[in-house]
Amino acid sequence: MDDTQLNSLRREPSPAFAARLQASLRQHDVAPSKVEWFRLRSVAAPALIVVAIVGLLSVPAVRASAQSFLALFRVVNFVAVPVDENRLARLAAENLDPPHLIGEQLQVLEDAGPPTSVASPEQAGAAAGFAVRTPAYMPTAVYPSGIEVKGQQHIQVTPNTERLRQVMDTLSINDLEIPQGLDGGIVDVRVPPVVMMRYDRGGALAAQLLQAKSPAVSLPNGLDLRALGEIGLRVLGLPPIEAREFAAAIDWQTTMIVPLPANASSFKQVNINGHPGVSIERSSRAPNGSSRFSTVLLWSADGMVFGLEGPGLSSADALRMAESLK
Amino acid sequence: MPGRLVRWLSAAEPDWDAVYADQLPRVYNFFRYRFGVTADAEDLTARTFEKAWRARHRYRRDVAAFSTWLLSIARNVATDHVRARRPLVALEEAATMAATGTPEDDAVRHSNGERLAVLLQSLPERERELLAMKYGAGMTNRAIATATGLTESNVGTIVHRAVGTLRERW
Repeated sequence: MDDTQLNSLRREPSPAFAARLQASLRQHDVAPSKVEWFRLRSVAAPALIVVAIVGLLSVPAVRASAQSFLALFRVVNFVAVPVDENRLARLAAENLDPPHLIGEQLQVLEDAGPPTSVASPEQAGAAAGFAVRTPAYMPTAVYPSGIEVKGQQHIQVTPNTERLRQVMDTLSINDLEIPQGLDGGIVDVRVPPVVMMRYDRGGALAAQLLQAKSPAVSLPNGLDLRALGEIGLRVLGLPPIEAREFAAAIDWQTTMIVPLPANASSFKQVNINGHPGVSIERSSRAPNGSSRFSTVLLWSADGMVFGLEGPGLSSADALRMAESLK
Repeated sequence: MPGRLVRWLSAAEPDWDAVYADQLPRVYNFFRYRFGVTADAEDLTARTFEKAWRARHRYRRDVAAFSTWLLSIARNVATDHVRARRPLVALEEAATMAATGTPEDDAVRHSNGERLAVLLQSLPERERELLAMKYGAGMTNRAIATATGLTESNVGTIVHRAVGTLRERW
């Protein structure tokens, strides 16, 4: 028996079958079941960013809050987008900045309340509803110093087309049309409990690890996510051509837009045990004139979202900690 | 601000048409080797792709990872199929097939492929699955080892033994 005989069972699928199956898959895309459609919509977190005029992303990014990332997005992939802070300043001057806009349209249906301290990862897991992971590796002299659990949050945002148009007018974005189906719809956001684990070095914060199940976000049916995405990218400051190309290429249902902080010194795609993530290093000047750096590491795995950040935490240490999660 | 304006931190959306064209024969032939020509390889292939399509947001967006991920779904579909079905071919039939007539007669009655399919059914599950991955899906021993959790040398040993068995019964 030779290789020819061993390979003799191989056949090309019939063209009819290949075409039939491909058509069937496309049909799944066009007309998914109600449950599936909801699920697809549920992971459309980045579109929420757009609906929210990208501010809920950009503000926490500029302010470097990994926790805010966790609270907002379901992440599968990451795309980094530098933020033009001058544009955000122009919006703020007109009270069109994201906090104003979202505050106007926000309804809190379930408040997470203040975080609750727990004694162990097991207790945190029981409170949060998932198996909490802890790092087997910790940088030198770093030790666990506390665990808190933030409760579930349920909010709804009612998009306002008129306000979005004002934002676009302020930024002279007059070549794009707001897609239909946005006005009057409701963006429903359910943020599962977040476990926050603190690590100290010499009594001071060294790192903070956050983990949560991915939030569920539902959007009004029929929204053109690509069109909304293009508007969002333009608001962030991308040139028209690049915004259009990227909006067309991004999978808006699963891709998290990571606005780069102004003080980001480097950023890179990382792989955490086979799962995609992004590492952003920021540098700042200490009062004594010395340079300080910190790392923000964001990644997703198995339906969970993780964030790790800390002053003085190097990118290499952050990666080792992330990879050692058990 | 690093970079010009924007840099991708993730792979771009794959060309689904290209992925489909590339992966369809691998999955289809995996099932042909796994269950033989009498099984509905098309149905199992369709189930695999439908599951993968529905869950496509969960895989890492590079084609190499996709092929491994897709085969893992195919293996799960195969496991479900095994649980649900009755044995397709009795071992006695396989033995009979292997021993019948002259090669010329066999060529008339059964193509090599059909004969191989029947003989494959006489192998233990594990051997059959590994042969399906290797000859059906075209995976390397290393890729099979990664997918199954076996060592690469163990994969090679099992495949070698299984091919030896087929050779004896051919």
